[in-house]
Amino acid sequence: MSVNWLPTRIVLLFYSSICFFLLQGIAWSSEYKFDLDEFEKKSFDWGGYAELKWDRIDINQDGALARLNSYQDTRSSLDRISSILQLDGNLNKGIVDFNWLMQASAQQDQTAWGDSVDIFAAYASIKPTPMVTVDLGKKVFKWGKGYAWNPVGFIDRPKDLNNPEDSLEGYVGAGLDLIKSFSGPLQTVALTSVALPAWQEVNEDFGEINNINFAVKLYLLYWNTDIDFVLFSGNSRSKRYGVDFSRNVTTNFEIHAELAHIPDQMVRLLAADGSLATCEQPDTSYLLGFRYLTVNDITTIVEYYHNDDGYTSSESDHYYQLIRDAQVQFDSTGANTLFQKAAADNLNGYNKPQSGRNYLYAKVTQKEPFNLLYFTPGVTAITNLDDGSYSVSPEAVYTGFTNWEMRLRFSWLNGDYNSEYGEKTNTNRAEVRLRYFF
Amino acid sequence: MLKIFVQFRKPRTGILTFLIVSLCAAQAMALDGKAILQQVDKNLQPESYEMYRKLINIEPDGSQKEFVLYSVKKGQNKMVALFLSPASEKGRSTLRLDDNMWLYIPNVGKPIRITSLQSVVGGVFNNSDILRLDYSAEYEAVSVVEEGDEYLLELKAKSNSIAYDSLKMRVDKTAIVPTTIECFAASGMLIKTLYYKEPKDFGDGLNRPSVLETDSPLYKGYKSVMVYAKINKKELTDEVFSLNYLPRVDELR
Repeated sequence: MSVNWLPTRIVLLFYSSICFFLLQGIAWSSEYKFDLDEFEKKSFDWGGYAELKWDRIDINQDGALARLNSYQDTRSSLDRISSILQLDGNLNKGIVDFNWLMQASAQQDQTAWGDSVDIFAAYASIKPTPMVTVDLGKKVFKWGKGYAWNPVGFIDRPKDLNNPEDSLEGYVGAGLDLIKSFSGPLQTVALTSVALPAWQEVNEDFGEINNINFAVKLYLLYWNTDIDFVLFSGNSRSKRYGVDFSRNVTTNFEIHAELAHIPDQMVRLLAADGSLATCEQPDTSYLLGFRYLTVNDITTIVEYYHNDDGYTSSESDHYYQLIRDAQVQFDSTGANTLFQKAAADNLNGYNKPQSGRNYLYAKVTQKEPFNLLYFTPGVTAITNLDDGSYSVSPEAVYTGFTNWEMRLRFSWLNGDYNSEYGEKTNTNRAEVRLRYFF
Repeated sequence: MLKIFVQFRKPRTGILTFLIVSLCAAQAMALDGKAILQQVDKNLQPESYEMYRKLINIEPDGSQKEFVLYSVKKGQNKMVALFLSPASEKGRSTLRLDDNMWLYIPNVGKPIRITSLQSVVGGVFNNSDILRLDYSAEYEAVSVVEEGDEYLLELKAKSNSIAYDSLKMRVDKTAIVPTTIECFAASGMLIKTLYYKEPKDFGDGLNRPSVLETDSPLYKGYKSVMVYAKINKKELTDEVFSLNYLPRVDELR
């Protein structure tokens, strides 16, 4: 790895962040000492983490998406170093809380420098009683029971499948949350309703602007089963209905499912002649999953996802063919009009993280094998069941040093010509991630 | 005739009396175990309370990792625990309603179902130790014997959804609080041993052990300790023990 391009700014940002917090924070405590004064509730509270990550990416030079992304600068590999500073906090004044979550990130590789500062959440919560909450501002919504996918997450941002537990940006809106508990088989009823505007510079990326949308979730804990009924109505996106559930079958076996129906889903399809057409079709997507824990602490999460909104293999083939035609055009004439068209189609859905129709996700982790406390090795596999392509990512996480998390991960992507993972930008990726929480 | 009748009835009365006394004695024995267990629960914690605890995981080389939790409990089946420290765990909360358990992680942003045998902090304590309900809510006393200054209770889980199939609980006769509890799997394998230590006056008539140590043959050389700093009676609404309330648990402090 060349050090010439090494972004000293990123390293300095990371280390200066953690040095500041370390100086405040380190306190050694003797055995069984417990000073409660340290944990008195404060009206102002904050925290977060600083992250430093290095990635080594092997480019899939024969892959359609690598050609699309770097036809002017072909390369076989990329080294990327990136840093994140995430801050969250809470200010409490009586029945009102103000919460925020911000993230600053920067990254450098051999081709470009990028940085951004984003407000993921900033909202006021008014809580007159434990049964009622009113939220105003930008808030993150994560609906559904699935770990990797959430077909009923009608107002969620899509997750990064490689890091499904990472923070996501929210949407600006107003919400009302009501809870009521009962004795008997029906233990809890909760109603969450959200008004979500889509205006110029407010939730512009949610859908068609100049609309106010509504989403409602009714939650029941009934016979020890979590059940949600979800409804979305508004003109920014078409109307959609959903239901999900999760339940512990035994102490170590949980099952969950989601079902979403969109009567009039707008789909953009690329025809064989390269033209892009928009059509409306009913769309029913679902997810089935389970979580199983063995006696030796191996947790297995398996999910099957049918994405009715996705592209069939032949529909994807048209897109990959367009990129190959673009490469021929570029090589023979130097023109990039077809590449520009493919990039525009890309934005219209062909390059969604999972653009296919049927997937299987499996994640297996073992907590503290061989008595290695705080060490968790695991492996994640994602398969596109229609074309047989897949990615496999073994990883190891160590959290033994208080407030530090270290993760090593390697991802290997494989698939045939014209398959989803066979045409991705990378063939494999090695990653080292270090996080310090404060 | 009367004499004959009386003579005839006498032996039958004796048998009946014997049977009744035997039944009462057997019932009294069963009731004793149940009553001792209920008294143990009453002496360990009020029915509804808030509590501050520190968990310490101690590795064979002596290095330690600490976690501080705030918990609230209501009745026999509702409990919530919130991590206050370290920063990497801060804001995580776990909810237990009967045998249902959920974990809320602020970054993840939604509660996920977890299992009672899982450990959210690593080390010897698992979720059911951290979110322990009353012993009498989960276990039945199948036998009780006196051994010196202690009662030895054999307890059996009321359902197969309880983390440990059976317990052997030693109870101090004077204070009626546990001193040692051995936890067994259905196979009879010893999973861990809990040691209650260092009695302390928590106020409001609550005098109970302030330290709970545990070790396990499954984690040789490792030890986990729970240190109790504050246990107060607290009135709580049922809605506090719901998924929608999990992100708000800190407001109860």
